[in-house]
Amino acid sequence: MPDEHKNPVVPQKTDKILIVCIGNDLVADDAAGHEVFLRLQRTSLPGTVRLEYAAVGGIALLDRLTGEEGVMIVVDAVQFGAPAGTIHCIPWDELPVLGAGALSGHDIGLKETIEIGKLLYPEKLPQRILLVGIEGRCFNLTRDAMTPETAAAIDDAVLLIQKTAHVSQGALT
Amino acid sequence: MIMNKTITIDPVTRIEGHAKVFINLTDDGQLESAGLVVNELRGFEKILTGMDADRMPLITARICGVCPTAHHLAASNALDNAAGVTAPPAAVLLRELMYMGHLIHSHCLSLFVLQGPDLVLGLDADPAIRNVVGVVQAVPEIAKKALRCRSIGQKINEIVGGRGTHPVTSVAGGIAFVLDSDNERQLRELTDEALTLSLELMPVVKQLLMKQIEKHPAMLSDWVVPAWSVGTVQPDGTIDMLNGEIRAVDKEGNKILQFPTRDYDQHLSESVLDWSYMKQVAVLHENERHDYRVGPLARFNATERYGTPEADREREEFIRTIGRPCHANVMQSYTRLIELVYFAERARKILSMPEIHGETRVPVKFPGGRGVGHVEAARGTLIHDYEIDENGIVRAANLIVATQQNYALINKTVAQAAISHVINRPDDQALLNAVEFGIRCYDPCLSCATHALGTMPMEVAVTRGGSLVQTIRRLC
Repeated sequence: MPDEHKNPVVPQKTDKILIVCIGNDLVADDAAGHEVFLRLQRTSLPGTVRLEYAAVGGIALLDRLTGEEGVMIVVDAVQFGAPAGTIHCIPWDELPVLGAGALSGHDIGLKETIEIGKLLYPEKLPQRILLVGIEGRCFNLTRDAMTPETAAAIDDAVLLIQKTAHVSQGALT
Repeated sequence: MIMNKTITIDPVTRIEGHAKVFINLTDDGQLESAGLVVNELRGFEKILTGMDADRMPLITARICGVCPTAHHLAASNALDNAAGVTAPPAAVLLRELMYMGHLIHSHCLSLFVLQGPDLVLGLDADPAIRNVVGVVQAVPEIAKKALRCRSIGQKINEIVGGRGTHPVTSVAGGIAFVLDSDNERQLRELTDEALTLSLELMPVVKQLLMKQIEKHPAMLSDWVVPAWSVGTVQPDGTIDMLNGEIRAVDKEGNKILQFPTRDYDQHLSESVLDWSYMKQVAVLHENERHDYRVGPLARFNATERYGTPEADREREEFIRTIGRPCHANVMQSYTRLIELVYFAERARKILSMPEIHGETRVPVKFPGGRGVGHVEAARGTLIHDYEIDENGIVRAANLIVATQQNYALINKTVAQAAISHVINRPDDQALLNAVEFGIRCYDPCLSCATHALGTMPMEVAVTRGGSLVQTIRRLC
């Protein structure tokens, strides 16, 4: 155990898909990821999909990877400057370079996290990593202040994630 | 007519939440005023009102994704106090074990994600590479150990707390967790590994820190903010992160005050600033207000020992080489490192105590009244104060978080950096680095600290050269 970090086990990549929904369910538009999580729980997803909710993203995302995932879809509220409710579907390497906290109010951003993962734990990184970002506007009020346009985009984001998961599943098998 | 120049740094990178720094210069280049403007407002105290008191450990943990366990346990302590119960010994130890896990995680995150870039790459490094990815590229093996240590802390927190980020098991009257043999074995392995890693990291990180100090001697000579220090102690003066009394020592390290949590409002005085959502706090003593710091350096100054062998050995080394009390902001990193070792040692110690097996809850009923509880959060003393009615409903809440207690010192640090890097030195980049570094030493968590409602205007305008460059929204 003490040397585990030095000698990582390298599992075989499979068709497994990890969907991680991020956000604080008590904070206005930051709750978008949690809303998506709740709705995805009630929908049909391929059997190889693992659905998780994480209050915050950042470096802890790496703990969730087993090395067996072929695809990881990260769902989070974002502020990329588009109108509220815009849904972005972006491969991680095309994410805009933003300051820390751009994707999460805490910890470090997805792009940095994946870069760290590639440098330190390449064996754990999925082949494909996608961000489904829901553009929010309000991150400093409580949940009841979710921007109507952001709230209205939740169902579309769920459909997009379902479709992406099914397509990814097909591509991996 | 005096034309002022305003320099804004927006945002200060790698601190939790969002912040703005202002440095106002007169037209002859002298410092007029400087500070950190906090523009994020969460209003959590307001939403707690009207909720079941039982829910406080769960809800307040969600205030922040970085220090949730601190809120979870401060709320539990406050509810125990409100109900007039004492959690059973096993519950107290299990809460502390959960907390040690969280603190290991939090200190690793702070040292290596927030401060690592400054320590490894240097203050003068290009900001484009002075980030955590740059750290990983420069010292991958150290980064790997640090991140592994962080993960272990989070795992310990998760095993005892039920969830890693937002724990759920601590409740009024104890903890909804019983240690079984499987968990105990796993926790022993994790705490052993955490101690091994923290002892390996100590000399390496310390060397990086000393190298930066050699390069920038002003860190020890000029970037010093003398102030009172506040921490939590057991009756014999040993540090305690979860239980104990609050102690305040003056700039010279003399013990001036020691009081139980419920008396905090007699000794700590909050005041509202007209330019920030964050309230400032000072120690009130003999009708005078004293700025103070909380957090690892303050705990080092205010307490007499850690009570574990390796941490106390390093503490003696600190006193021998640097001295005590210490007011050099850069030394927050050194004391954070010592605490990392202490947390790992303490977690191992807790697991060896037979009292950890036993009843973990007592029945709770709220008779109506006030409940105050506190913990030493990673960043400093955290106080929860609730008014709870006889139906168990919260009628008022006041939270005092670490960053607002450090706020006066953070602002002094910004002013120091401005004086040393602005006056007659037109290097904006060096200024930005110095200001950011100074603020990050406090490891501020502004999303926690901006919960209190003030009476500020609806918008705050930030100007530069007389032009509006930023408009800040506020809660109404």
